[in-house]
Amino acid sequence: MVAFACGGGGGGGGANKGTIKIGSDLPVCTTGGQSTANGIKFAVDQKNKAGGVEGFTIAYQSFDDCRQGAYNADAGVANVRQMLDDSKYLGMVGPYNSAVAKAEIPIAAPKNFVMVSPSNTNPCLTKDIAGCSYHPQDLRAGNPNNYWRVVTTDDYQGPAMADYMYKQLNIKTVGILDDSTVFGVGIAGSFEQEFKKLGGTVAAHSEYKKEQTSDWKSILLNFKSKGAQGVYVGGTDDQNICIPRKQMKDIGWTAPFGGGDGIETTDCIEQASGNESEIYATSAGADATQVSGAKATIDAFRAQFSGANDFGGYTMQAYDAANALMTAIGNAIKANNGNMPTRLQVRDQFAKIQGFKGVIGTYDFDQNGDTSLKIVSIYVVKTGLSADDAKNSTGVCGKKAANACFVWKTQFDFAKPS
Amino acid sequence: MSLPDYGFYILCGTAVILLAAQAVTHPTQFFQVFIFGLTQGAIYALVALGYTMVYGIIELINFAHGDVFTLGAYIGTTLLGFFAITEGTFTAINLIALIIVFPVVMLIMGGINITIERVAYRPLRNAPRLAPLITAIGMSFFLEGVMFLWRGPATVHFPDILPTQSWYVAGVFFGVRDIFVVVVGAVLVSLLAVFINQTKLGKAMRATAQDRDAAQLMGIDINRTIAATFFIGALLAGAGGIIWGLYYNTIYYQLGFRSGLIAFTAAVFGGIGNIPGAAIGGLVIGLTAAFSDSYIGSKWTQVVIFGILIGVLVFRPTGLLGMRVPEK
Repeated sequence: MVAFACGGGGGGGGANKGTIKIGSDLPVCTTGGQSTANGIKFAVDQKNKAGGVEGFTIAYQSFDDCRQGAYNADAGVANVRQMLDDSKYLGMVGPYNSAVAKAEIPIAAPKNFVMVSPSNTNPCLTKDIAGCSYHPQDLRAGNPNNYWRVVTTDDYQGPAMADYMYKQLNIKTVGILDDSTVFGVGIAGSFEQEFKKLGGTVAAHSEYKKEQTSDWKSILLNFKSKGAQGVYVGGTDDQNICIPRKQMKDIGWTAPFGGGDGIETTDCIEQASGNESEIYATSAGADATQVSGAKATIDAFRAQFSGANDFGGYTMQAYDAANALMTAIGNAIKANNGNMPTRLQVRDQFAKIQGFKGVIGTYDFDQNGDTSLKIVSIYVVKTGLSADDAKNSTGVCGKKAANACFVWKTQFDFAKPS
Repeated sequence: MSLPDYGFYILCGTAVILLAAQAVTHPTQFFQVFIFGLTQGAIYALVALGYTMVYGIIELINFAHGDVFTLGAYIGTTLLGFFAITEGTFTAINLIALIIVFPVVMLIMGGINITIERVAYRPLRNAPRLAPLITAIGMSFFLEGVMFLWRGPATVHFPDILPTQSWYVAGVFFGVRDIFVVVVGAVLVSLLAVFINQTKLGKAMRATAQDRDAAQLMGIDINRTIAATFFIGALLAGAGGIIWGLYYNTIYYQLGFRSGLIAFTAAVFGGIGNIPGAAIGGLVIGLTAAFSDSYIGSKWTQVVIFGILIGVLVFRPTGLLGMRVPEK
C-alpha cells in the first residue's frame, strides 16, 4: 500500500504530505482589496483541486490591513508578524499599497519571507533612483531580496498617460492635481515631466489634502481659465480623488480626466457621480483580454465569483502572484527531496523563476524584484453599457452606476524600444 | 479706537482692496469664485450656528456637532432611497421626497442631539470643564464609528435630485443648486434669528446664556432650555447635512471632522456665542477658502484661513462681532 501511495505522490497527486500556508495582506475592506483577495483564493482553490503542490495542500488565509476604512502600514506589519510567527507560512501575496510594503519589507526580509505584490507600483521599493526618500537595499537591511511584484512601476504609468493625453486626446495644456500622498505626488510628478518633454504646457499643478478639502471648484476653475484642456490627477479614490471629476460638471467644464491605477476603481466611478464618461486611467499591467489564453481563466473565475465587484483591476495580477509563489514553493519542495522546505529555500527558488507563464503574460523577474513585463494599459469609462457588457468588462464598474465601467483602450509596452 | 482696532481695520482693508483689484481686472473669474465661496460658506454657516449656540449657553465645544451634521446626510440619503426619485433631473416625486425628508431628518437629528446631551453632557454639567470636552470628543468618535459600521469606509453616494438647470450670466456659470444652497441657508438662519429674538423660548435661551443661575431664579427650566438649544442646533446641522449631500452628492463618514473644525473656526471668527457672528464667520471662511484656492494656491488655503483667524483673534480677541457667553 505504502509503495503504491508513494508512486502516486511522485506523479503530483495522491498522498497528502501536509499543509503549507500562504497568506495575503490586503485592504479587504475596500472593493479593490477584496477583488484582489478573490484572485488569490481562486488560484489556491484551483491548485488544490488539481492535487495541491507536490503533494502538499495549500491553505490560504487573507489578512486585512484596513484601519478606519483605509490601508494602514501598522496593521500590515502586525499581519506579517502573525504570519512570521507560524512556521507553516512560507510566503505571502501582497501588500496592495506601496506605503505598506515599505513598512513590511524590513521585517520580512531578515526571515527570508517571500512577498509577492500584485499591485505595488512605487518605483522606490525596488529601484535606487533619484527622488526616493530611501534606498531599496536599506529596506532589506543587507538580506537577500525577498520582495517581487508582477506589475510595473509608476515611472511608466505617468508617462504612459502623458503620451496618451498629448498624442491621442490631443491635449496640449493640462491642469494637474495631486492628493499630497507619496503615491499621488510621485505619479503626478512623472506625468508632468513627460508631458512637458512632449511639448505640452502645465496650466497649474495644485494639491490638496483629504482632511482639508471637499470643494475643488476654485482649483478646477483656475485650470480652466489658464487654458487647460484636460485634468490629470495623481492620487487614490480613498483620498476622494474622483470627487473633482463630479465638480467639473458643476462648473460647466467638459474635458477629459486622466489618472493612475488609483482611479481605476469602483469608488472612483461612484465619486464621479453623474460625470463618469471620459475618465481615463492607467493600470500597471496588461489587460487580461489582450493575453491569449487568459479568457478561459477569467471565465472560470467569474463562474466561481459572480458578484459585480468580485473582479477588479488587480484580480488577475493577484492570481499570477499566487501562482508564482506556489511555483517557487513547488520547486523548493522538489529541491528538498519532497519535504517541507524552509522559507530560505522558497526565497531562493523564487529568485530563480524565469519565463513564468501567467494570465497577464509570460515574464521574468529581475534581481531587484521587478517584472520584465513593462506594459501599462489605458482604460476609459464608458457609460450606458448593457448588463452583459458590464458583467464581462475586464475593467471595474460602478456600484450605483452599474452600467458605467472602465473599458480597455490601448496599451504601452515600455520593454520594447519605441 | 484702540491700536488693535486699527490693526484689524488695516487687515480687512488690505484684503478688500486686493480682492477689489481682482474684481476689476478679472471680473468673470472673481464673480465665479465668489459664487463658489458663497455656497461653501452658507453650509459652514449652518454648522457653525450649532457650535456657537451650544458654546453660548453652556461653554462647551461640542465636538460631536460636525458628526451630527454628517449623520444627517447619511440618514437623508437612506430616507431618499425609499422614494422613487429620478437622479439627474427634477420630478414631482423628487420635490415631494425633499419636502418630506428635510423636516424628518431635521427632527431625527434634533432627537439624537437631545439624547447626546442627556447622556454625555448633562450628567457632567457641574464637573470640571475638561470632562464634558472629553465626552464630546468621545461622542464624535462614537458617531463616526456608527456611520463607519453602517455604510462602510468608502464614499457614499447622495442622490442628485435637484433641478439641473444652469446659466451663464456675463460669463459666470451657476446653477439652480447654487441658488438652492444659498437661499435655504439664508432662510434657516433668518428663522433662527426670529426664533431667538421673538419667542419666549428664545428669550429663555438668551437669559440662560447670560446668567444661568439668575435665569433659574426667574423660573426658567434650565434643563429644558439647554435641551432646546441642542435640538435647534441639530435641526440646522441636519438640514446642513442634506444640503451638503444635495450639493456635492458624495459624503463619507469622516466628513464631520473637517467640516466641524472649519465651522468651529467660523464660530470663533464671528465671536463665539454670537449667532449673526457665526453666520458671517461661515460666509467669510467659505469665501476665503475659494479665493485662496484660486488666487494664492490650494496648498496655502489652510494657512490663509487660520492665519486670518489668528489675525482676527490678536487684533480683536472677541471675534468679529464680539463674544456672547455667560457672565462670570
